[in-house]
Amino acid sequence: MSQSGATVSQECITAYNELKLNKKYKFIIFKLSDDYKEIVVEEASDSKDWEAFREKLINATSKSKSGAVGKGPRYAVYDFEYSLASGDGLRNKLTFLAWSPDDAGVQPKMIYASSKEALKRSLTGIATELQANDPDDIEYDSIIKTVSKGLAG
Amino acid sequence: MAQQPLSSAAQPTDVYGGDEVSALVLDPGYCNTRAGWAGEDVPKSILPSFYGHSTATPTQNYFGDERLIPRADFEIRNYMNKDSVVEDWDVAPKIWEHMLINRLQPDKQTPPSKNGLNDDPKEKTQDGEGDVAMEETENQEIEKLLQENPLLVTEAPWNTPKAREKTTEVIMETWGCPAFWLSRTPVLSAFAAGKATALVIDVGGANTSVAAIHDGMVLKRSIQKSPIGGLWLSSQIRSLWETSEPKVTLTPTYMVENKTPVDALAPVQARLRHFPYQIHSSFRAYEEERVLTEFKESVVEVWNKPGRLNSPGNEEFAKTLPGRVFEMPDGWNQMWREQRFKLTEGLFDETAGYPLPEEERVGKNQTIPALIRAALEAVDVDLRGNLLANVVVTGSTTLINGFNDRLQNELAAMYPGMKIKIHAAGLTSERRFGAWIGGSILASLGTFHQMWISRKEYEENGPGIVEKRCK
Repeated sequence: MSQSGATVSQECITAYNELKLNKKYKFIIFKLSDDYKEIVVEEASDSKDWEAFREKLINATSKSKSGAVGKGPRYAVYDFEYSLASGDGLRNKLTFLAWSPDDAGVQPKMIYASSKEALKRSLTGIATELQANDPDDIEYDSIIKTVSKGLAG
Repeated sequence: MAQQPLSSAAQPTDVYGGDEVSALVLDPGYCNTRAGWAGEDVPKSILPSFYGHSTATPTQNYFGDERLIPRADFEIRNYMNKDSVVEDWDVAPKIWEHMLINRLQPDKQTPPSKNGLNDDPKEKTQDGEGDVAMEETENQEIEKLLQENPLLVTEAPWNTPKAREKTTEVIMETWGCPAFWLSRTPVLSAFAAGKATALVIDVGGANTSVAAIHDGMVLKRSIQKSPIGGLWLSSQIRSLWETSEPKVTLTPTYMVENKTPVDALAPVQARLRHFPYQIHSSFRAYEEERVLTEFKESVVEVWNKPGRLNSPGNEEFAKTLPGRVFEMPDGWNQMWREQRFKLTEGLFDETAGYPLPEEERVGKNQTIPALIRAALEAVDVDLRGNLLANVVVTGSTTLINGFNDRLQNELAAMYPGMKIKIHAAGLTSERRFGAWIGGSILASLGTFHQMWISRKEYEENGPGIVEKRCK
């Protein structure tokens, strides 16, 4: 269980298994429900456009307890596919991304950070986990370097 | 906006929005103790952990800054030890009650007939038994006042099992709270920065600590601490004033009756107050600390240009930088230039800084860079990159100008080629009360209901439950 007590909805696990086993999606973005009780799927997509995915994270919002809408953290799973520089073919890596922009409010940041364990534990087979806090952290080139441990070509 | 606590009668039956407004959060530290309602942005009650103790019979304790004034037979004590672990278990619950009840729930205060304010002080000195009886009624009131409030208490990651057990006992037995939770301060600070994995550097009043957090857990072996903090910095300032030419005398505010403004470095023209009784040295030290704090806030800086202060040419350059004037309570004033930087240099370099008495000197393993290195060396090598990219800086002493830039420079020099990213909250309050704010958000979540250790769970398992649940 997470340290916040938030739970993971079944749809997260279903969507993740669709991505992992059936390759139905390229990525899934998860969010906390508006009452901050449960982690739910915000979007599952088969779009391979990294920039569009990145924009979605950057533009994500959260409502603070006073009702003001500000930048919001998210969780995401992305199925990276890259070819090795050595020419040994393609590799796939399921990557868990904890996105928490530094300029989001302290309340959403706190809730997302303290709930992350719940989601990560229910998703089996994640190869890499990343924590990203500003738009530079989610540039494709820098991320693929980390994910592939520098082996991507 | 901070949400007003609802009275217990109007408690919401649903938890929509997840706000559990009746929970309280207590964050004890060596210099200050912070308490407030969960869900609020800042702690409503901030009291010094120092308290006044009257040694005359019957002895009496005074809590709160405004009650720490010159008195006869009056000492200043602290309920914590310098490691930020509670030492005096007779006084700690009293201070906490004072904060959680008198300060936070004044509408529920004990009726005037029982609160002791209307008691004839003469009667009290004569009648010791009457005093005991009064305390008993007070205790009953306390039980009633806190038995509706779940309580989250923060603790240093090195808090002892014994102290945790004692805390639990006070919460469940003395106060009768319905539920409680203990949280480690660096975890709360990391979460409040949006990170489940982070290297937390907390430069506080009595301590500086470095701890690696991974997936929301403190990595025990990584915990490093050292006495370099705000109080250590005070010793540096004292040493600077001692060795200054001419020597600077520290006369705390309470001793000054009036003063006439004088030119810089001119002799002081002030009339001092005299007291018909002896002022205890601990009281004077406490008052001196106020002046030192002001000096830290307005004058002291951290050298944040490339290299260290004693790198070639830097000290010369520091002398050309604009200085700051500081006026002492007695009117003495003086411009401080390169000294402003040298004061903090010892945080990073044990050979720099001003000479200190032997017991306050720090070794080369106790500087901030050394603590960071030791913390990282104690964790798996694969984690280090991740931690350096997620450094969380918290604690009041980090608010000194230039601290973060300097830390960045030091880390870059220590770990060339690594990605280093420091996260420090921009809001002063978030850096001063980082752990409290984290606890406040956590305890206010509707989902946190299932995390609290309930009275039932406590009764079934005993105080040992804390070690099992609050890891």
